[in-house]
Amino acid sequence: MKFHKSFRHALNMVLHAKIRSWLTILGIVIGVAAVVAIVSLGEGLKQDMSSQLNMLGGDILTLRAGASRAMMFGPGREFGGSTSASTEEVVLDNKDVQALKSVSDIKAFDTQISGRADIYYVAEKGSATVTGVDPATWAQITTSEVAQGRMLGPADSNVIVVGGRIADGFFKTQLGVNQMLTINERVFRIVGILDDSSSNVYMPINMAYEVLDDKEKGVYDTIVIKVKNEDEVELAMNNTEKRLMLSRHVTEKTKDFSLSSNQQSNEARSEMMSSMTTFLTAIAAVALLVGAVGIANTMFTSVLEKTKEIGIMKAIGARNSDILLIFLMNAALIGFIGGLLGAIFGTILSGLLPSLMGSTADGMLSRLASGSAVSIQSIVVALAVSVFIGMAAGAIPAYQASKLKPVDALRYE
Amino acid sequence: MKQPLVVLKDVWKIYQMGEVKVPALRGVSVEIHKGDFVAIIGQSGSGKSTMMNMVGCLDMPTKGSVHLKSHNISELSESDLSTMRGKAVGFIFQQYNLIPNMTAFENVMLPLEFLEIDDAEAEKKTIEVLKLVGLENYMHHLPSQLSGGQQQRVSIARSLVTDPEIILADEPTGALDSVTGKEVIETLQRLWREEGKTIIMVTHDLNLAKYAHRHVELKDGKVIDIRENKNMKKGDTK
Repeated sequence: MKFHKSFRHALNMVLHAKIRSWLTILGIVIGVAAVVAIVSLGEGLKQDMSSQLNMLGGDILTLRAGASRAMMFGPGREFGGSTSASTEEVVLDNKDVQALKSVSDIKAFDTQISGRADIYYVAEKGSATVTGVDPATWAQITTSEVAQGRMLGPADSNVIVVGGRIADGFFKTQLGVNQMLTINERVFRIVGILDDSSSNVYMPINMAYEVLDDKEKGVYDTIVIKVKNEDEVELAMNNTEKRLMLSRHVTEKTKDFSLSSNQQSNEARSEMMSSMTTFLTAIAAVALLVGAVGIANTMFTSVLEKTKEIGIMKAIGARNSDILLIFLMNAALIGFIGGLLGAIFGTILSGLLPSLMGSTADGMLSRLASGSAVSIQSIVVALAVSVFIGMAAGAIPAYQASKLKPVDALRYE
Repeated sequence: MKQPLVVLKDVWKIYQMGEVKVPALRGVSVEIHKGDFVAIIGQSGSGKSTMMNMVGCLDMPTKGSVHLKSHNISELSESDLSTMRGKAVGFIFQQYNLIPNMTAFENVMLPLEFLEIDDAEAEKKTIEVLKLVGLENYMHHLPSQLSGGQQQRVSIARSLVTDPEIILADEPTGALDSVTGKEVIETLQRLWREEGKTIIMVTHDLNLAKYAHRHVELKDGKVIDIRENKNMKKGDTK
């Protein structure tokens, strides 16, 4: 029998199949959808990560007082309040600034404090994260960029740069450059709006000491350091660490500060993300495997059910290879249809998941929420795999069908 | 004398039923020539269906030899047997044995698909044989939408479509009422007389057997009688 004829018969079998076949297909749909959704999420995550890595800059180190936070995710931008509640006496101050100035690998650094504060626009009130930065160095260290206006400059005092969300969506009216915001009874003029979606307010650190009540002047929450040579971050980090240990009179064991690089935290994060994706994919693969067992089961039943038809076909001239091909293609088609529907559902699911996650979770999961990438490649692979699974699961039943003796098959009721 | 179409030489068929060996055929020897209309008669369990299965290459003898068109079927590969069944033999079964989810047209065309005849020719031939059995208006009906007599005519059309030399009919009227049964047997007789087909029919019904020109009677797996039916003259074979 010609190939396209066998295909038509196989298709006919699927289309005339009972609800059992559709349930089998459903099994594959679930498996493939799960795999596609998770793999695309992971893929999206990876792309997101690498773009973040580029954006955040690999040449940035973050210094904090207190115990090591090397495993923290992200640069800790929303890090409000004191750096460490348990060790109140451990702070970053001018001594550290002096120490950093003497490290030759450092290009520039930015002393920062941050906390929550109420901000007012006309009669509206809201709460935002206020970060005091060194106006002289912030612009050259930060990876944020302005969408409108300008960054802070060394001579600024009563001016602020706000995140994109403060300008658009935070208050009823959209804010623009040169508009005034009141923070803790002081009036600030907006000079720049960042092209992000954060609700951060950046101001010169001297002003921030006055706006944020619980901050002691001369004490910093974090110091963001830009190294001279991006390729030698490790070296710069070691040198900085040694210098700080010396000036703070601590040893490796009693170290009371932490120095982390964006590179490090990004690597840790992506490692964790990729192992999570692998884990979830493994679970989804189990679902797919169960689907494959379902196909095998259905095919065995189908061969039993069609024994008589197989007998008839053999009596009127079907060769073993014809029967084998028809049943194998039937199984492959079940796999293909399941794979196709699964890929479609998986794509929809991977589009929905981020928003579902984003609404309830924060932190790491909201990073996950930032997007998924369904690639044509992953769809093609999913289809190929499900067709293969179908054929592998259908191979033994199809072989059995082809080996049936015509007399016995005809006699079967 | 021309070479006979079918030769059974001392054919034994023994079925293994658990520990017991049940002989269905015990040394059957028959020759069937081109243009014969042979009725294999005998009671249930006499071995007539087993004999027909051998002629149709559906089953192999335990002992002895079956030659079909001078091929020893025991020596053919499974694939050759299939092709032989497809080309040389057309089956008509008691229960019609049509594929339920295919239309009459598709059922009839199926043997041609197995022989890889090209579509245009296959369709032409299919329509031709469906007309021959008078079903040109029912081509796109499913078997379940046809009466028993119509289904059996579809099955006859299917057996004819590959233009085989031999038509094997196993109790072809067994599931039909006497009127439709008569129509079917008359169709077979017409094929024998007008188309020169060799017809081998298995039946236990002596009323049907009288349409054949030769009777082979089996009992307990042995041929007990071969006789010419004097009322039926052999058709004008080409």
